[in-house]
Amino acid sequence: MGITRRIFLRNSALTVVGTAAVPSFLARAAWGAAEPATRTKRLVVIFQRGAADGLNIVVPHAEPQYYAMRPSISIPRKDVIDLDGFFGLHPSLAPFKPLWQQRQLAIVHAAGSPDPNRSHFDAQDFMESGTPGMKATDDGWLNRSLRNLQHGSPRSPFEAISMGPSIPRILSGLEPAVALNSINDFTVGGHNGKASPLASTFEAMYGHSLDTVLHSTGEETFDAVKMLKSADPAKYQPAPGADYPRGRFGDSMRQLAQLIKANLGVQVAFADVGGWDHHVNEGATQGQIATVLRDFSQSLAAFWTDLGDLGEDTVVVTMSEFGRTARENGNRGTDHGHANVMFVLGGPVKGGKVYGRWPGLDQSQLYEGRDLALTTDFRQVLGEAVARHMGNKNLSEVFPGYENQPGKFLRYLG
Amino acid sequence: MQALNRLTFGARVGDVQQVMAMGVEKWIDLQLHPEKIDDSALNSRLAPLATLRMSTKEIAEDFPNPQLLNQVMNGRRSMPSDPIRRAIYKVQLARFQDRKNEAGKNASIVAADRPGNTASERSAMTANTAQESAGANAQNTGMTAAASDTTPSAGIDASADMNASGNENMMAASAPPAAPVKMTPEEEAQARRREDQLYADLEVQQLPSLPPDQRFKKILDMPTASQVAFAESLRGGKGLAFLEGLSPKQRETLLAMNNPLGVVTNELAQAKLLRAVYSQRQLDEVMTDFWVNHFNVFIDKGLDRLLVTSYERDVIRPRALGKFEDLLVATAKSPAMLFYLDNWLSVGPNSVRAVGPPPRPYGRYGRRYPPQQPQRNQGRRPSGLNENYGRELLELHTLSVNGGYSQRDVTEVAKVFTGWTIDKPAEGGEFKYEPRMHEPGSKLVLGHRIKSKGEGEGLEVLHLLATNPQTAHFISLKLAERFVSDNPPPALVDRMAKTFLNKKGDIREVLSTLFHSPEFWDDGTYRAKVKTPFEFVASALRATGAEVEDALPLTRQLANMGMPLYGAQPPSGYSMKAETWVSSSALLNRMNFALALTGGKMRGVKVDAAHLDGSAVAGNPAPTGASETLSTLEGELVAGGVSQQTHDSIVTQVQTSEKSSAHSPDVSMIGGLLLGSPEFQRR
Repeated sequence: MGITRRIFLRNSALTVVGTAAVPSFLARAAWGAAEPATRTKRLVVIFQRGAADGLNIVVPHAEPQYYAMRPSISIPRKDVIDLDGFFGLHPSLAPFKPLWQQRQLAIVHAAGSPDPNRSHFDAQDFMESGTPGMKATDDGWLNRSLRNLQHGSPRSPFEAISMGPSIPRILSGLEPAVALNSINDFTVGGHNGKASPLASTFEAMYGHSLDTVLHSTGEETFDAVKMLKSADPAKYQPAPGADYPRGRFGDSMRQLAQLIKANLGVQVAFADVGGWDHHVNEGATQGQIATVLRDFSQSLAAFWTDLGDLGEDTVVVTMSEFGRTARENGNRGTDHGHANVMFVLGGPVKGGKVYGRWPGLDQSQLYEGRDLALTTDFRQVLGEAVARHMGNKNLSEVFPGYENQPGKFLRYLG
Repeated sequence: MQALNRLTFGARVGDVQQVMAMGVEKWIDLQLHPEKIDDSALNSRLAPLATLRMSTKEIAEDFPNPQLLNQVMNGRRSMPSDPIRRAIYKVQLARFQDRKNEAGKNASIVAADRPGNTASERSAMTANTAQESAGANAQNTGMTAAASDTTPSAGIDASADMNASGNENMMAASAPPAAPVKMTPEEEAQARRREDQLYADLEVQQLPSLPPDQRFKKILDMPTASQVAFAESLRGGKGLAFLEGLSPKQRETLLAMNNPLGVVTNELAQAKLLRAVYSQRQLDEVMTDFWVNHFNVFIDKGLDRLLVTSYERDVIRPRALGKFEDLLVATAKSPAMLFYLDNWLSVGPNSVRAVGPPPRPYGRYGRRYPPQQPQRNQGRRPSGLNENYGRELLELHTLSVNGGYSQRDVTEVAKVFTGWTIDKPAEGGEFKYEPRMHEPGSKLVLGHRIKSKGEGEGLEVLHLLATNPQTAHFISLKLAERFVSDNPPPALVDRMAKTFLNKKGDIREVLSTLFHSPEFWDDGTYRAKVKTPFEFVASALRATGAEVEDALPLTRQLANMGMPLYGAQPPSGYSMKAETWVSSSALLNRMNFALALTGGKMRGVKVDAAHLDGSAVAGNPAPTGASETLSTLEGELVAGGVSQQTHDSIVTQVQTSEKSSAHSPDVSMIGGLLLGSPEFQRR
């Protein structure tokens, strides 16, 4: 698949850049070390809940319209981290810069859900079900993406995990999935493996229960508890340089890395991060959006560092339910809009490039005269990861009603 | 049993017999008229929580928010004279000063980078920096000191503009000049304070050894540096030794030194739990919870910390069984909602506030100048529409997401509600209609022409929405989802919606239709609902007859379970559906809570074994063996009993335990297993 050659080329580029730490798998691959025959491919999906303001995240700094429409909240040209002369990162995304330079990080702009809905609830629902406009879908696309994949025997309960107190829409469905809030608390009657003898009684109750909902969740739970105990993820502390910020999202990513490193068979994982709904005082280089972006980028960069070699088989995709109005509103904030920006990070990613067609910000180019228009359907971005990275070619099952033509993939994967 | 399980937060020991004795019909009728039920026992439990009975104005004064402190620092407001209040203010001001120095440093760095910055831009940035800590900390479920005491909230700079005249925001005005080379006077002062603090820490450590009254007096008399050190030691719910033996009022004062608004929000959360467990007016409580969730306000959004107490008490609770339209109007005018969904800042693009006073008539025929373009406002004054409330009003409060409205309707509704604002929110002000913010002209909402009439336009739209069949259906559906099942029978919902329309949105009547429908009593809907974490915890406490001495640890438990009280961030509130609450983490949390509760390991709660096994009731003998204990507990704890599978699993455990001496099967173990069983997760 030419990965060695590509990575070698990328390494050459690195000698020029020469700043950030190079994951050792890059070096190893470049040296032509043998690769294991089959390896677990992983897809990590991050949801920015609340509608992140893509135009202030990956800034079209060469667009005069951008500055005209946002007199008080635009990111000044001299403050953006320039990427290609046209786009630039918000300065709070500085931790992404080395990932971009190493070409692990790609960007898809003007992407998202084609549904015109501007309700947080509905739009999140659609992006999680993977069927915009169709309310009746009762499972999530990330769950469906697990069908037709090779599974270990016995199947690991951690194949599909969500970091949080409950299974989100995106992971609900027929394939088993586990929600996990805190590794330490994931046990009955005591921290860190000191499980209570009563755990087995609960296990029997739920195992034999005729209550279908509670029965299946109960079984998954106890399998997971036992497996987690034997894998002992507490051994896997963050790698040097993986500095997770304090807070819920940083905790999620830190624990997710632990689970992956503990070799629990994680194939798909989900985490979310809130706080993007800035109707009032959004801020620019400083302020609300700067703070959430700092947390966001530090957490992801730490995760990437922490994974080390395991990053080679990992692809991280970020999404948010819709973008925000191109113009700022009367309260120095932005209202609900349309297209947004997505990040893709991972070993097989052909990074260092902004993918997708830029629709422009002139009045006539805006969606409904107010929002960034959409040029890439989010299912096209996700479809490529599901098909080409995870190896599930049955995309019409993952995204029913959407014709995902491999020929039209952005080919952000190598 | 059906009724008890669903109209209440769970059955208590003896409840079933009591309802049977009274007659179900009569009991339901009584629950529908809560004013007839005596609730004095609950009220005496709520007595120590003083903020529950305070007006928003009083709360604002006793528990200063950052914006108010700003005014004190600016000299726009004087320090309180009362020594207790004064101490609270002094600590906050000292901390504020520290942070301001920090922020000032940051601002000056930014300013040095960007020479073009105006003072007001800088101040907006500083205020934002402070505000973002609110957002970032919001996840910490309202318990944290950090959340509220570092937070000049979203409202700060905007309302400073609206209420004060030309006074620069304190933070910017006092920001030090750019690029300081050596220590500024502020920094020197700060260093001095740090040194003081070292000594202060020592002083604080001595405090717990003093008797309560002396301790309290000593703390009030300490120099500010020591008080700051003392306040630090209370952060994150620590330092309980300092509070030992104090009166509720004294505790409140000391806790307020660390986190003034945290006292308010914690008391509210505690009250919610105590009411669910102990109120005799159970249906009233369930409905208040329902509406607070339907008209959700996230308590950790800035000033909402001080507004939600009154929101629940004065807006929701009195109307929980009343007319929907009254409830809708009251929420629309509530400072809590106006603040949460930003409507208080929404300004008509052609309003006087946005474009200046209307020009005089021009020419013979009274023609006006061509309409002015709304100018981009240079100051920090809000100058445009904010659609947030308009959208959620249609989507979440009334018509529902498929209710047949368009983006155009959202914008028009937003115009209608311009001018619905708050008079000085930081000082606990009330709703105010401000004509200068109102968008002139008529509006078109859902095909209805709303003629220009100021505040009346909003009332007309609310009436339109409250009487819309879509609303009737949506509210009925949600009620049926709460009381019956996640997918209630359509015929039931239709019947309720019909009552809603016929009885002009009378909630009591709609509920009555629900409770008297065959579907409500149908076997198919028996235990159809999985309890939310709040329902689970409340029902466990009720079933075990637990004595809650301190509800705060319980409220933290709920935050752990993903359901911090008043802590739902999105305007949709918490889901009532099983899929949200059934997951591995959730189940483990529930099992662990059940074992901790009956095992006496849940802080702030006592469970009496004699109460559990029924021997506390006069004339009841204590169970003689483990199997008898089990059957007694099954009857007492799990209304409706448990399945054979659950029963057998516990029997096996009991037998194993009897063989090994390490774990003798006792009431608490069996009780814990029952509360963690699949059956107890449902109602």
